[in-house]
Amino acid sequence: MDSALETSLRELTDIQRQAVKWEDGPLLVLAGPGSGKTRVLTCRIARLLESTREQRFRILALTFTNKAAHEMANRVTRFAPGLEGRADINTFHGFCAQVLRQHGVHLGIKPNFAIYSRTSDRQAVLADALRRNPRRFGRNDQHLLPVIDALKARLVGPGQVTPRIARRNGASPHETNRVVRAYRLYEDELHRTNALDFNSLILKAYELFGYPAMAQHYQTVYRYWLVDEFQDTNGAQYTLLRRMAGEDFHQLFAVADDDQTIYEWNGANVHRIRKLVDDFSCRVVQLPTNFRCPPHIVEAANRLVVYNARRAAWKQPAQPSPHAHRGKIERRVFETDEKEMAGIAAEIACLDDVARAQTAILARTRALLESMREALDAAGVSATILIRRDDFASPEMRWLVTCLKQIARPLDQRNMATLVETFGSFAALPLDFNELTSRAAADGVTLMSVWTHTAREAQLPSPAAEVVSAVSSLAAGDTKLSPTVREILGHFENHDPHDDLKDDLCAWRRIEREVRAVNGFASLDRLLQELEMRSKEPVPVPGTVSLATIHGAKGLEFDTVYLIGMAEEILPSWHSLRKQNGSAALEEERRGCFVAITRTKRRLILSRARQYKGWPKQPSRFLEEMGFLNDGSDGPSQ
Amino acid sequence: MHITRIEIRNFRSIRHLIVDFGETTIFVGPNNAGKTAILDALRIALTRRWGRRGTGFNEYDIHLPNDAVDPKTSSGVIIDLRTEESEPGEWPAAILEDLADIVQVDISSTNRRSVALRTRYAWSEEAGDFEPSWEFLDAKRQPLVGRSARRVNLERFWRYLPVFYLGALRDVGDDFSPRSQFWGRLLKALEIPAGLESRALRVLDLLNRRLLKADTRLRKIAKTLSGATRISARDREGGLDLRMVPLKMWDLISRAEVILRNEPDSPWLPLRRQGQGIQSLSIIFLFQAFVDHVLRELYEPDSEPVLALEEPETHLHPQAARTLWRHVRALPGQKIVTTHSPYFVQHVPFRDLRLVRLTPNGTEVRSLPASFSASIPPLDGLEAVVANSTGRLSYERLSQTLTVHGALEEQLYRRLLRCCGHHERRSDLVKTLKNLRDRSSRFIEDDALRSLETCARRMRGEIFFAERWLMVEGQADYLIVHALAHAMRYNLDEHGVSVIDAQNNGSPATFAMLARALGIPWLGVFDDDDGGREHIRSIQNRGFDAAELARRCRTHPDGDLEAQLVADGLEPELRETLAALNVSVGQDEGELLHRLRSHKTAYAAALAARLRGDLDLAQRAPEAFQAAIEQLRGLT
Repeated sequence: MDSALETSLRELTDIQRQAVKWEDGPLLVLAGPGSGKTRVLTCRIARLLESTREQRFRILALTFTNKAAHEMANRVTRFAPGLEGRADINTFHGFCAQVLRQHGVHLGIKPNFAIYSRTSDRQAVLADALRRNPRRFGRNDQHLLPVIDALKARLVGPGQVTPRIARRNGASPHETNRVVRAYRLYEDELHRTNALDFNSLILKAYELFGYPAMAQHYQTVYRYWLVDEFQDTNGAQYTLLRRMAGEDFHQLFAVADDDQTIYEWNGANVHRIRKLVDDFSCRVVQLPTNFRCPPHIVEAANRLVVYNARRAAWKQPAQPSPHAHRGKIERRVFETDEKEMAGIAAEIACLDDVARAQTAILARTRALLESMREALDAAGVSATILIRRDDFASPEMRWLVTCLKQIARPLDQRNMATLVETFGSFAALPLDFNELTSRAAADGVTLMSVWTHTAREAQLPSPAAEVVSAVSSLAAGDTKLSPTVREILGHFENHDPHDDLKDDLCAWRRIEREVRAVNGFASLDRLLQELEMRSKEPVPVPGTVSLATIHGAKGLEFDTVYLIGMAEEILPSWHSLRKQNGSAALEEERRGCFVAITRTKRRLILSRARQYKGWPKQPSRFLEEMGFLNDGSDGPSQ
Repeated sequence: MHITRIEIRNFRSIRHLIVDFGETTIFVGPNNAGKTAILDALRIALTRRWGRRGTGFNEYDIHLPNDAVDPKTSSGVIIDLRTEESEPGEWPAAILEDLADIVQVDISSTNRRSVALRTRYAWSEEAGDFEPSWEFLDAKRQPLVGRSARRVNLERFWRYLPVFYLGALRDVGDDFSPRSQFWGRLLKALEIPAGLESRALRVLDLLNRRLLKADTRLRKIAKTLSGATRISARDREGGLDLRMVPLKMWDLISRAEVILRNEPDSPWLPLRRQGQGIQSLSIIFLFQAFVDHVLRELYEPDSEPVLALEEPETHLHPQAARTLWRHVRALPGQKIVTTHSPYFVQHVPFRDLRLVRLTPNGTEVRSLPASFSASIPPLDGLEAVVANSTGRLSYERLSQTLTVHGALEEQLYRRLLRCCGHHERRSDLVKTLKNLRDRSSRFIEDDALRSLETCARRMRGEIFFAERWLMVEGQADYLIVHALAHAMRYNLDEHGVSVIDAQNNGSPATFAMLARALGIPWLGVFDDDDGGREHIRSIQNRGFDAAELARRCRTHPDGDLEAQLVADGLEPELRETLAALNVSVGQDEGELLHRLRSHKTAYAAALAARLRGDLDLAQRAPEAFQAAIEQLRGLT
């Protein structure tokens, strides 16, 4: 009997197989929506592993989301069981964190560093940092944070900031010296607290690979590199990749679709694909067949995307698969946005659970989705918004995370304040933060131990009493991390959790599964690092409709897709239209529309209203570009 | 991949110890000094017998300063093992790939790759027991976390450094048994083609039948024994038969044994019937066969064995022990050897030797290193001094280690002092630098060691086993000192004193330096003539201060040995001695001295023989010798 890998290899098209078996140096695979790129990537990794069973080199695969990494890792494990340990499948940030854990010592980074991914954390770091120089800096200097963020995102260290660079990153040139000073203080503060922010992960790894011995070591160990969704690579990530590869590394395999570049605002750039081809002398293979979408949609997408003037000429038009579902495109027009939401909610209310689970409503903005959810609620339809969550939604889980952080870093006062505050939101404990610090100082014990002591004496109701007791024995070192966390989750679970808490418990389990799959057992420091890098959204409840922004829908597919708000100044956005037609921003909107419609496996519904928030809006130009003439034939008004 | 360094804390007799390893490292020292503890620390850290229980450690392994200390409160055993490339690119790609999660890259200066493993054994409150644990370390010796902490890394690391132990009590019965570590695994690795196997078994069956028929009693015996199957009766009938020859292929192969004969005409005899020396030797060569033929099949193509070998010289006569060194050095992989044989040590290069001694601070190890290190923070200007030192200094930024290759010259030392400037810990740093200079002054150049190699080979085996050295000028002094000590009831051998006739074996100054470097207490007695004064001057030039010199060195106040003996009133005895030697000499004292000097060894031997039993004569012997022998008691 064939192995899963052999079966999968046999099912590939010739051109897919060519990409999987490619051995002749750098290759760029241009892969449109539904062209089976994930399958090509995973088959390639599995095949490389299978055909080199006796060898020990590793394979590096970089993705843009933890979800994609997790999914890819699962498939590789299925295709090449027992060999998956040699495949390092990670996000750019995850990979950099791993490099820094092992080699950061050269830059003065301790392996158990904390990661700050949230703006609020970085703001607090900057505030603490600036307090060290009160003569020069005051409360109003928080506006320097976006400047520092922007500089770091471009791999500019404090020593390299010139007036010109400062201006390009949002500061006025005469402020340059202040920016440099604040940036230095900020970096010192991170170093002092053994923390790295998200941009530091890339920047510090970039510094480390500036040492040729380090880059060479990684080239030796990781003999093949694969980059998924290369079109989303920003300047920093690409520069890092180039530095890692040096002059000599050639086994680079990138998969990209320039038509799906929707992260230009984050530094992605449609020209970067061209640059990759030039810099690495890549050969190019195209996977034009769209196995996902019905022929009508493939054609509409082809018609739409040629309006992008900056698009590379090399791209072949997508072709529908002969086996694709016939499918159809429907249009809806409503008088007002309220009616649009209500009308679509009513349509979906008629679907059964199975159909709902395979239905998505996509929109340009989060705000539209929120109104949509309200309309669905009113129609009695449950829905999940698929959106990255930087933090847990419930105070209970936020409290648990702060407890773990406090155990890892007992001196962190700011975290302790959050701990007290979050606990206060679900259990009444008469203890304020100032009292806590003064008692800890007086008794010469940790903040955490004063808090647990007070909380244990306070005769709290269930489950607060149980979870406090569990946390305090973990803090005392009497119990182990993973059973204790499991016990605490159990207490929350068994005491009639509210919706946010249910979501969070579900999200925690997903994260735990993902982390375990990569790391086996995770230590406390490691668990905290992973938590910080991962989204805390729950797994969608079966039978619910998915709501997603276009960005959030990237990489997903559904039987039925509603794309709502197909009006000028909505999609394309008002912001993009302020610039001339043909501007980069408008092209990015068009690619957004392209991404949205190509999520569809069967049925696509394009919907618009004649007015939004009371303002009349014209039909989206993309409707016409896709070939739907605006002569009123886009359906009767409802 | 070799082990380059081990740092041991709180293990048996060891409080704190750092030992550097080369490809071959020889430990020399008295019994119970801690040689085996070092070998065991290495084995435990590298051996894969690590269950929850029954690890290589037990709670008696924790070094305790005294009886009152509870091992539960001790920080426990800590063994840091380090392996580092000797130059960048030494390690094959497979090692770097396989150990990618734990390899460290030095990017600051050397570009060498390394791996550091820390093994601990301490009381665990959580487990309620003494627990072993391990972690890999980064370049600053902080534990690596995350993926690097996965156990699979430990398993892999062990596979590249398989450690094998051959104890002092080698026994061919054990080491050539089918379950032994080398022989057994060699036999198990044998591949017999299926065709040959089935043919061999057919032949054996046939042979078995013939043998059974040869004596009719065999059948009857079988019949009697089959009563057993009837008693343990089951529903279906079993059977019982006799087997005169092996039944299975493994039964046959596992009986393989080594036979040999010493002369073409002697009978072949099994190894276990040979002399102890041959038996012991054959086990060492068995290790070589194992490494050559199956090691890389069982481990990795790039595995390098580590052989911990105790007393390879066991049961060998001196010449054999001497040549054994050459064979041990030629063994594959890294060799770590303990020995009690001066003959074995005779050919070991000085820098490969480690002298192990038990002191009030626990086990200590002395060697003749080529470089000396100290911990110094990255001072202003330090890198520049290092850069302009023409390779005499090197600095490792991460571990903050300053290393001086050879002795630290005064000028360079002054430049380093200047770097301390107004540093807040200036006085500590100056102390550290001074200590570094002092330690490095014990450096012995390769040239000096080479001259010892040629001159002192005969005695160098012995002196490394001595606890104290007494340096004298020549052989006559040697003979007389031995006899005198006997008469004074101070047995030199019993007290581990080596008397070194320095003149015949190189220069006294080199021996003095060697003694200082190896921490061996020493005294010297020299003539008060040009030669003797020159010896003392040359010792002084090696950085011994006047007070120490005065404490350790004496001279015969009346000139050379003969002049001293005459001045001490031994003239009658000397004349009798010469007469007994048929040397005629007139009444002139000058002639007497002349005759004595020209029959130096002969008169000294004869005089020594008289000295041994004559306490009265001994009391008149040269004061410098008597005082030195007295001082040897309790000398430090």
